[in-house]
Amino acid sequence: MNFVNQVLQWFLNGAHWQGEGGIPHRTLEHVAMSGASVLTAALIALPIGIAIGHFGKGGNLAINISNIGRAIPSFALLVLAAQVFGIAAASQVVGFGAVPAFVALVALAIPPMVTNSYIGMREVDADVREAARGMGMRDRAVLLRVELPIALPLIMAGIRTSAVNVVATATLAALVAWGGLGRFIVDGFGLQDYPMMFAGAIMVAVLSLIVEFSLAGAQRLTTPAGLRPSKSARKEEPIGTTFDTAIA
Amino acid sequence: MLAAGVLGAIDDPWIRWSWISGHVDVITAALVQHIQLTLIAVVIGLVIAVPLGLVAWRSRIFRGPIFSLTGILYTIPSLALFSALVPFTGFTVLTAEVGLVSYTLLILVRNIVVGLTSVPDEVREAARGMGFRPLAELVRIDLPLAIPAIVAGVRIATVTTIGLVTVTALIGEGGLGSLIYDGLLRDFRTPLVVGTVLSVALAFMADLSLAGAQRLITPWSRARATT
Amino acid sequence: MYLKRIFVLGASMVALALVTTSCGSTGGPSSSTSKGTIRIASFNFSESIILAHIYGDALKNKGYTVTYRDKLGNREIVEPSLENGIIDLYAGYAATDLNFIDKRQGVDLEAGSDAKANVDKLNARLSSKGVKALDPSPAIDQNAFAVTKAEADQYHLTKLSDLSSVASGWTLGGPPECPQRPFCQPGLQQTYGLHFKAFKSLDAGGPLTYAALKQGAINIGLVFSSDGGITANNFVVLEDDKHLEQADNIVPLIRTAVANSDVTSLLNSIDAKLNTPDLTALNKSADVDKQDPADLATTWVKGHGF
Repeated sequence: MNFVNQVLQWFLNGAHWQGEGGIPHRTLEHVAMSGASVLTAALIALPIGIAIGHFGKGGNLAINISNIGRAIPSFALLVLAAQVFGIAAASQVVGFGAVPAFVALVALAIPPMVTNSYIGMREVDADVREAARGMGMRDRAVLLRVELPIALPLIMAGIRTSAVNVVATATLAALVAWGGLGRFIVDGFGLQDYPMMFAGAIMVAVLSLIVEFSLAGAQRLTTPAGLRPSKSARKEEPIGTTFDTAIA
Repeated sequence: MLAAGVLGAIDDPWIRWSWISGHVDVITAALVQHIQLTLIAVVIGLVIAVPLGLVAWRSRIFRGPIFSLTGILYTIPSLALFSALVPFTGFTVLTAEVGLVSYTLLILVRNIVVGLTSVPDEVREAARGMGFRPLAELVRIDLPLAIPAIVAGVRIATVTTIGLVTVTALIGEGGLGSLIYDGLLRDFRTPLVVGTVLSVALAFMADLSLAGAQRLITPWSRARATT
Repeated sequence: MYLKRIFVLGASMVALALVTTSCGSTGGPSSSTSKGTIRIASFNFSESIILAHIYGDALKNKGYTVTYRDKLGNREIVEPSLENGIIDLYAGYAATDLNFIDKRQGVDLEAGSDAKANVDKLNARLSSKGVKALDPSPAIDQNAFAVTKAEADQYHLTKLSDLSSVASGWTLGGPPECPQRPFCQPGLQQTYGLHFKAFKSLDAGGPLTYAALKQGAINIGLVFSSDGGITANNFVVLEDDKHLEQADNIVPLIRTAVANSDVTSLLNSIDAKLNTPDLTALNKSADVDKQDPADLATTWVKGHGF
């Protein structure tokens, strides 16, 4: 109980909420970096996954890219990015260590989104496509008005997986001189200041859960009503067949 | 924007072959340690996940808490989890393994449950009709049919664990991660590249072997496009 | 049929785990001929690893079994490990270790400029913990603060006192523990009256600090006086004119349980032969030329007859 009290005291300490090393700034850094990486990755990954799913070619690559992505350790990815881009690139504008962190996180976020959007597109019933074409819809209309809405839940699931991964992996970026909430964990460990470290871990876990739940909500919202599984018929997919998870 | 290393001035080739040939023993030891840490984590993870999965499958009451607990373990950032264990279990293999096993649980438990629930009810009824008692039914009907999902989970857990082992370099273990860490500490590219390449190669080999193993023990399952 | 296959598969996985586990156990002198095991730790930088392996190689040559915990961490991690019996030996730095232990024990800081006095005080503080400090070496590695040549020229900086006009707008960079270490940020405040605008947590005089300094993300960084990369990177170390840094001579800190006369005299003779220029050269070989710290240690040990 004494330790819990120490962690609580750490949070209640006003000095920990001020300045560049304070909780608000670090949280903002963390959220901004995660958001920017996921957004950028989505701009790259979604068109690719959707296109591959729409045209039906290159499916094997789309499936396997998740396996490949999962096989690359994020720690190595960060250190490699620091070697390639240098930790000081653009540091005056976006902060020290931000460029390699960003590059590594974008790379990490791409595979689940490619795979999930591909699978989402493929799961569109062939009959539905036929019917749409039979109604006179041209290719682009089929894509936008039929395929995408049906694939949207899985696309959202991919974004959600990537987002949670990115929030967790961003903590490791503190090892290559970046900031974010990982700073509390790395510095806390270095100083053997366990209240600081636990506080950092708690904050990242809370942030992950917030991201997970809000995107799950968004996923439910974007699922067309007709496709929402009824409570009794709800089936969970095993991890690794359609959905994808990987952690930092 | 492309810098020559973290320092930006000292030119370090990406691979110094002389370093590799001179450090085969170090590299091999790191690889062996990496494999050990991974195997122990996945095996222990399964040992814990199977009973947990069975309980979660059968009991609606426990399913929620079990998923929640394994899920929460999963959201704790790896560095934080390992560091947090150190005051209790020290800079030891135990610390690394407790962390690594924790991360496998969500994937394994979830896939075990889903695999078991996907066994069609008609099949189970037929088995009961044929006189199978519950334990026999579990072992000879339900589990075998759940194998594809379970092995998919083991594959993911294994590949994920191989990646996570690298982080244990920060608490004194590391496997191939210690090469990566050395690369970071000394701004030295060769061990970084070697550690990364071997880690990825190991993950691929593990994934392929497990996929092959799955085909071996469930010859009746068609190779789905997703596995 | 498939049950049998599952069983075989599971059994082979377990067997594989057992085999690789036994594969990993290190060889060494068997317990019947070994004089005992000594566990040596090092900090997160090359010099510490080199020193650990110098001690270890020499001990191995004398018939001891040596295991290493390299890059275990910083002093906050390593020193308690020594007191708790997790490791047996590490190469310490007389003044910094003394102040660290003073702080840990809640007493006033005692480190001074006399290495022998520092070591005596260390022994006084550590005797109740089952740890002793051996003889200090003439080799010294202490905290130093570096700026880029451009900065030094621009602001006419040669010594730390020269910083009083610029410090309030400057960022200091160093390892996470710097804001708490008497020879780091608090020392600069108290001894020189320097209050920096900000502190950036990087590493202990490693690539992150060097990069930050070079690229201007920090204005002044903590480095170590025996670092191999200072000249190579065109840095200027500012002179410690008010003597903030005290005698940080290399000194082995060892558990009394393993410090028999054999071990003690060996380590003391090694210490006597270490000197700062050698150390700096070794650091350069490790950090700039990317040679292996352990190999460099072996070469040194052979070259000096241990």
